[in-house]
Amino acid sequence: MAYLSQYQYYENAGTAPTDKNWGSYQYVGLEDIVNNFQLMYSGNHSLVNNEERFKILFHAKRGIQELNYDAFMEIKALELTVYDNLTFVLPSDYVNWIRISLYKDGWLRPLNENIQVNSAQSYLQGAGGTLTFNADGTVITNTSTLDTERKNGQQNSIYLNQNNAVDQVEDDNASDFYSDYSIGARYGLNTETANVNPTFRIDKKAGVINFDSTMLNENCILEYISDGMEGGDDSQVSVNKLFEDYVYAYIEYAILNSKFNVQEYIINRARKRKTALLRNAKIRLSNIHPGRLLMNLRGQNKWIK
Amino acid sequence: MTSFFLLIFVKKKAMINAVRNTILAILNKNNYGYISPSDFNLFAKQAQLDIFDEYFIAYNNQINKENGRVSGTGYADIKKGYEEVIDTFSVTSSLSQSAGNQYIVPTPATTGSDYYLLNKLLIYSSITSSGVTTAIGGGNTNLIDNTATFQTDGVSAGDVVSVVLSNPVVANLTVVSVTNQTTLVVNFASLTTTSVPYTIYKKVNLKNEAEQVTHSKITMLTKSMLTAPNITFPAYTQEGGILTLHPDSISAIGRVVCQYIRYPKDPKWTYVSLTGGEPIFSQSQSDYQDFELPPDDVNNLVARILQYAGMSIREIATVQFGQSIEQQENQEQ
Repeated sequence: MAYLSQYQYYENAGTAPTDKNWGSYQYVGLEDIVNNFQLMYSGNHSLVNNEERFKILFHAKRGIQELNYDAFMEIKALELTVYDNLTFVLPSDYVNWIRISLYKDGWLRPLNENIQVNSAQSYLQGAGGTLTFNADGTVITNTSTLDTERKNGQQNSIYLNQNNAVDQVEDDNASDFYSDYSIGARYGLNTETANVNPTFRIDKKAGVINFDSTMLNENCILEYISDGMEGGDDSQVSVNKLFEDYVYAYIEYAILNSKFNVQEYIINRARKRKTALLRNAKIRLSNIHPGRLLMNLRGQNKWIK
Repeated sequence: MTSFFLLIFVKKKAMINAVRNTILAILNKNNYGYISPSDFNLFAKQAQLDIFDEYFIAYNNQINKENGRVSGTGYADIKKGYEEVIDTFSVTSSLSQSAGNQYIVPTPATTGSDYYLLNKLLIYSSITSSGVTTAIGGGNTNLIDNTATFQTDGVSAGDVVSVVLSNPVVANLTVVSVTNQTTLVVNFASLTTTSVPYTIYKKVNLKNEAEQVTHSKITMLTKSMLTAPNITFPAYTQEGGILTLHPDSISAIGRVVCQYIRYPKDPKWTYVSLTGGEPIFSQSQSDYQDFELPPDDVNNLVARILQYAGMSIREIATVQFGQSIEQQENQEQ
């Protein structure tokens, strides 16, 4: 990709959307990665030779996916309101979650993952517990009691929120009922469940986040990571430039490692190069610089009274 | 170093005559016989194809030598010489569309020549505008489509207009100016009829190279989320004379541009009349065609034609003489 003029960068040369190129200089596109690799690391005199482009593309994408999982720190956030079904459908590019929060009254309140199951599949049962089947032999399913009662607000919670069985205070708005009772007085508070916020549990197979009924009509913010594949639009897949060399090294290593008759020392060299470049890139991306450290270290001489 | 007398009379513009004279001189010297112009043309064609084919093998051998670090640079860069010769047969041309995402391989009827090797297929990453002409004008330089929105689409001077003026040849015109939303001026007065389908591309968008994949791979490739061909990384398969482009959305006139290595044209030694029973060479005949190989291949051509001629006249000494010249050439390489 060619360098952009400042007019193209700031205003996309006058075409909408004008913010399209903002920040784009941080990244190098997948197209460039594959092209540069073929140009510089593949050929008659290179370690990698006579490899189909789709193999290079595959390894490039795999490398970028791995970086997205644990190195890029590029967290996406999606806000949705939770309605009657108490579910939040996972985004189309969701791979894993970082944090799920309730946004209410100007505060972002991180939610706890419920350690108890809160949704289940149910089979339709006849008298005596017999199951019923469709003509094709599949069992007929039904909405589970667990789901029904959770959605109706009848499911008790072990967390110290409004669904807790001990919470009987009618005008309890702030869910601070536990201070009115002797919860935890004898054996101490179970800190794992000591949270007033709604709880959730992710049903990965169903692709939804199931909340308890206290989340009804509330704004939920999901912070998550993707794999960087941009919904299959290869022209939009990109890598932070700090990781550019690592991606080349990753592709080279991946190809050499799976190729017959490549000497082990060459594979090892490629592996070490890849690992070292990843380490370097992570350090660079972590932005450890004196100004930031200084702010933290200023607290070390604080007098604890 | 080329040997003895062969190159003395060789001129590039009529290499074929020099080769023929040499052949006849060798054959007549020992009273081995005579070959007619038609026989000579047949042998010349065969010899040229042999040598042309060997260029690719020699090129590969040279790369192997480079990998073995037994090759030099600068004037010692033999590979560069081979590349130059092969590139003289390079052609870049838009492929004719057969149907949908299927395009016809280069042929004399579509691109003007048969292909020896499809080197690369480039795909325009996007279409700027397309439609069918509804009128003619401007001395046949106006492309008029009453339903078009050229200005809105961003068509500008320098863009490429692909049209099929004479089926199945794809012609590429250049936009000279955009008159209004429905009219363009192109650089060549060729739009003599209406209802001509056209597609307009930006030159900068000719950047995505389609990768050739085998039939055994393409199914798996398209099933894979990570490797499924798309406009950014397209692919193609070949079946007979048809190239099938993936993804299917690659299906517009002129969207596929091929750079290929064509076969050398058939050499033809032409003459005007017989003088004393001998045909007199004339390179002004319409079907005249010189060798397309470089002059330093004269020795090779002579050697190979001698072998074919020797076989023809059943003279083993001629064949052996041709073989000895060829061996000498090979050793020098």
